[in-house]
Amino acid sequence: MTATGHLRGFLSALREEGLAVPVARQRDFLCALTTVPPRDVRHLYWLATATLTTSVDDRAVLDPVFAAWFAGGTLPALSETEEPGAEDRGGGGEVTPADQSAREGAGREASWAAMDHQATFALTTLTEHQILARLRRDLPPAVPTVRSRRRTPARRGDRLDVRRVHRDAWRTGGEIVRPRWRRRPRRQRPVLVLIDVSGSMKQHSRDHLRFAHTVVATCDRAEVFTFGTRLTQVTAALRKRDVDAALSALTDVVRDADGGTRIGPSLLQFLGNARHVSRARGALVLVLSDGLERGDCVPLTRAVRRLSLLAHRLVWWSPLACDPAYRPVTRGMAAVVAHVHELAGVRDLHTAWEQVRKEGRWTSEWTSEWTSEWT
Amino acid sequence: MNEAELAQGMRAARYFADEGLLTAVYLALTLGRPLLVEGEPGVGKTELAAVLARVLDRELVRLQCYEGLDAGQALYEWDYPKQLLHLRATGVDAAAGVGEVYRAEFLLERPLLRSLRQPTVLLVDEVDRADSEFEAFLLEFLGDFQITIPELGTIRATEPPVVVLTSNRTRELHDALKRRCLYHWIPFPGTERERAIVRAHVPSIEEDAADSLVRAVSGARRLDLLKRPGIAESVEWARGAAALAANGDPWPVALRRALGLLIKDEEDMAVVHAHIDELIAP
Repeated sequence: MTATGHLRGFLSALREEGLAVPVARQRDFLCALTTVPPRDVRHLYWLATATLTTSVDDRAVLDPVFAAWFAGGTLPALSETEEPGAEDRGGGGEVTPADQSAREGAGREASWAAMDHQATFALTTLTEHQILARLRRDLPPAVPTVRSRRRTPARRGDRLDVRRVHRDAWRTGGEIVRPRWRRRPRRQRPVLVLIDVSGSMKQHSRDHLRFAHTVVATCDRAEVFTFGTRLTQVTAALRKRDVDAALSALTDVVRDADGGTRIGPSLLQFLGNARHVSRARGALVLVLSDGLERGDCVPLTRAVRRLSLLAHRLVWWSPLACDPAYRPVTRGMAAVVAHVHELAGVRDLHTAWEQVRKEGRWTSEWTSEWTSEWT
Repeated sequence: MNEAELAQGMRAARYFADEGLLTAVYLALTLGRPLLVEGEPGVGKTELAAVLARVLDRELVRLQCYEGLDAGQALYEWDYPKQLLHLRATGVDAAAGVGEVYRAEFLLERPLLRSLRQPTVLLVDEVDRADSEFEAFLLEFLGDFQITIPELGTIRATEPPVVVLTSNRTRELHDALKRRCLYHWIPFPGTERERAIVRAHVPSIEEDAADSLVRAVSGARRLDLLKRPGIAESVEWARGAAALAANGDPWPVALRRALGLLIKDEEDMAVVHAHIDELIAP
């Protein structure tokens, strides 16, 4: 086979293995080979990575194909030290229960079973549509705001809009008649929703997910994750206009619904990913969970503490807290309550809507009655 | 400049690049494409551009990205107060004044325009922090290296700038932007290279102290930390320990006392303190 044929074969093998390199970049690769003749296989490898990959993850495809076509098996190590992925940090290992027989106090028991099946979420009734409409109306104004970095023209502002003053002055022969202003408008903070879809939350997760759909539909910057035994990003699946269509799309994505609970490790997995953490920074973080953690509560405490430091407001909604007699005395919740800014009872759309209407809680400085009362 | 000269120049500027990075930089220079570098914080992404500017003897133009960055801060802005003052002072009539005040002397250069006016290295720092509107705008600029100012005409680069983009991967960049760039991921350095870096930046550090420092840093990177220390932190740590050692502390003690320069988080500090004897031999 000629050298050209060999290169062409290499590039099409890459495409077959799932790394679709655009023609422009393929041309770059070939240009690179002619302008910088490779000294050896190692050098050729680095030429290939610089021109053919656009992310460090692409090397997972490139490396074996390259080895098969050029190297005869030997490849330079990806890094001299270790794999770079930030995802592998935190929440990695399976947490073994310290005491399986420990009773968890109030509420249903959390189970250990990891599930992998499709859950179905039932359809929305008419009155629920009305509540959803109210949520859509009341949610956006309830989200805390932050001052935007980008100044916009405004009637009253803190900085002179010299550009507009100047433009206006042209109409009046260079005479300044009236000053114009710019200011930094307020914009919504990002909203991050973390939903517990484990077995103990089974009868609430349907409503919680529909609430999350409203969040995605109405808020400017929203991100939704579900967790049971693992963490799943569901924002894209929820980005459908119709609630029921969005929820049925979820059944393909959320594979651990109605299974066991591993809140702490799931949250740590979230915090171990730099891309996810940037979603929580300065955001309104809503955690919808009963906080019934099996076994070791240390990961849960660590995760919640970190989350509350990152977030603007950390709000924990638990269906158990709807009961006036409820006290967060389970080991998990007792540890969590010291770090959350607000703990409230939400079991369905109606209670969620009631909480949203108490927007003042999110926007004003928080004084947590829960924390002072029980710690 | 060939690849060997480039490598030598960068080493002389105290930047120790591995073969992959050297290849990527050399390709970016020969093909005239922007280079997108990613990597953990503190592995020398920004420093790469500064070093390139020194090696190529060009001016470094830096554009720090942030959310809400707009064209007025990235490209150019007319100096409106100056224009108005000029009009008041000279008292030209409106018809003649139009051309009068739209001249180069009333133009405020922002980084992207500046990078076209003379041979430069353009650093677009932390491009993942800017919003996607800015990314689309940057795309246009990186495509043909020209800026059109309606009042003045199109300004083309006399010599295309060497462009380095850095990203911390907090957000996925658009494919269109990535397609125009060469890509390199900078990993944490191996012990050999890290020792060379530390010794080059902190000449006063003793040989075996540098050894144990580098071992401690790579040990700390293996721990379950919120923020793994980068090269910047280990150089700072070495510098701090050297200052303490100059005061009379023995090296292991100096390293321990200066630990706050390596670990910047209370929880991480607790983890490191739990393993301190494995990391730094007393």
